[in-house]
Amino acid sequence: MAAPSILIVHPDRKTQRTVQRILGVTGYKVDVADDVEQAVRLLAHLQPVLVVVDGAMQLPSLSELVDAGKARGAEACMTLLGQSSMSQVPAILGMGSVTNLLVHPMPVLAEELTITAQKLIKNDLFGAEKYLLWGTQLHETVLTRASQRSHIVAELAESVRACGQSARVASMAMLVTDELLSNAVHNAPVDAKGEHYRKDLPRDGELELDADHQVRLRWGCDARYLAIEVNDGFGSLDRATILDSLAKNDIRESGGGAGMGVALTYRSCDHLVFNLAPGTRTEIIALIDVRYPPTERIQASSYNVFVQRPTP
Amino acid sequence: MTLPAETRGRMTVTTIADSMGEALALAGSIDESAALHELISRARAGRLTLDLAAVTFINSLGVRDWIRMQAAAQKANLAVELRRVAEPLVHQLNMIIATRGNAQVSSFYAPYACDACGREESLLIDALANHERLLRLDPPAQTCPECGAQMAFNDFPERYFSFLSS
Repeated sequence: MAAPSILIVHPDRKTQRTVQRILGVTGYKVDVADDVEQAVRLLAHLQPVLVVVDGAMQLPSLSELVDAGKARGAEACMTLLGQSSMSQVPAILGMGSVTNLLVHPMPVLAEELTITAQKLIKNDLFGAEKYLLWGTQLHETVLTRASQRSHIVAELAESVRACGQSARVASMAMLVTDELLSNAVHNAPVDAKGEHYRKDLPRDGELELDADHQVRLRWGCDARYLAIEVNDGFGSLDRATILDSLAKNDIRESGGGAGMGVALTYRSCDHLVFNLAPGTRTEIIALIDVRYPPTERIQASSYNVFVQRPTP
Repeated sequence: MTLPAETRGRMTVTTIADSMGEALALAGSIDESAALHELISRARAGRLTLDLAAVTFINSLGVRDWIRMQAAAQKANLAVELRRVAEPLVHQLNMIIATRGNAQVSSFYAPYACDACGREESLLIDALANHERLLRLDPPAQTCPECGAQMAFNDFPERYFSFLSS
């Protein structure tokens, strides 16, 4: 049986080498392929934990490669996308099978690639700390009533401004926090049959949240990212729903929610991370790039959907 | 002239009249309690003018209500003018095409930054006077209110001005 490895599929030699150097530190053997044909040949002899793919690759090649990687047991396929390939984002979202997309001026940002790889390999998913510099303080609030949402959102915006961030950042933080809290309060709760019994309740109605229904918000800023993390104790959000929601463009006409929370959150932050422990916990982390001047920002957002593997 | 504000959830509505004419000024948060579609009844002479400079927040339910308001305006053959549109609303106009309706944006706020002193500011752009250059994704120069240096537009033009191309 082949030893677990990481496979990089990218036509650019410099990106290959950069990614190889970064991922080599995980201790895994790193294999490199220039194109899909070569990658598929290699996959016959490999058992990759992770396949890293050039997002600029055209369909159906990208789709074929993602499927081939999964068939060989790859935990995840990570797609890298540079500034010049932003037009690929709708196609990648439309595939509904790319669980990790990192967009960045190429060759690539080492920190985000390493964090993604380590989380996948170690099956250690939870916590915004992984995305922030050591020592960054995370502020924590627990929602015990649904009506606290607007107050908490306003308070967070004030705190973000008070720590020196711009109105743009505070405005994005408000939207992200409001949508994530609303989802966690109203969409996350499920009964034994999997029914989302609060999804159609009016969002402005009052709800007392007992220990099972309470929602935890944490946020912190390390002067690169403002991280906003929201946790619920249901773990009802699944990968397929997320990948479908990211690309949504239509507001739901009726019902308690507008059905656009995930899509608006994704478009309002620079990196959206879903950490899923099915049936136990859902954690969503939105990262807003606060750097000035915004030299490394890019006009599309990264996302990751991590699913915790059951421990033996 | 300014009439007393009416409160709708976390948003207020005030009728204002200035050199540009009469408008309904919305301020605060547009969310599930805003009931925006009811503003249609406040149109005058087939026209609804909204001053949006003081809108600080709009969530997905506010967006749904906003789309309903636009649809109701279209159905009633109202001309809708959006004046001094705040950045949170510009983002929604860019993200959700349906929010644009048939409204005409006469002016809007945009993020600028001063390379000389580091100040960031949301500054007003006259969308009508700058129409051609905005379509060329060439935002007008602005002067830093603090140091007087020229400020640069501080977002991606192809993303921020996309609502003007519909």
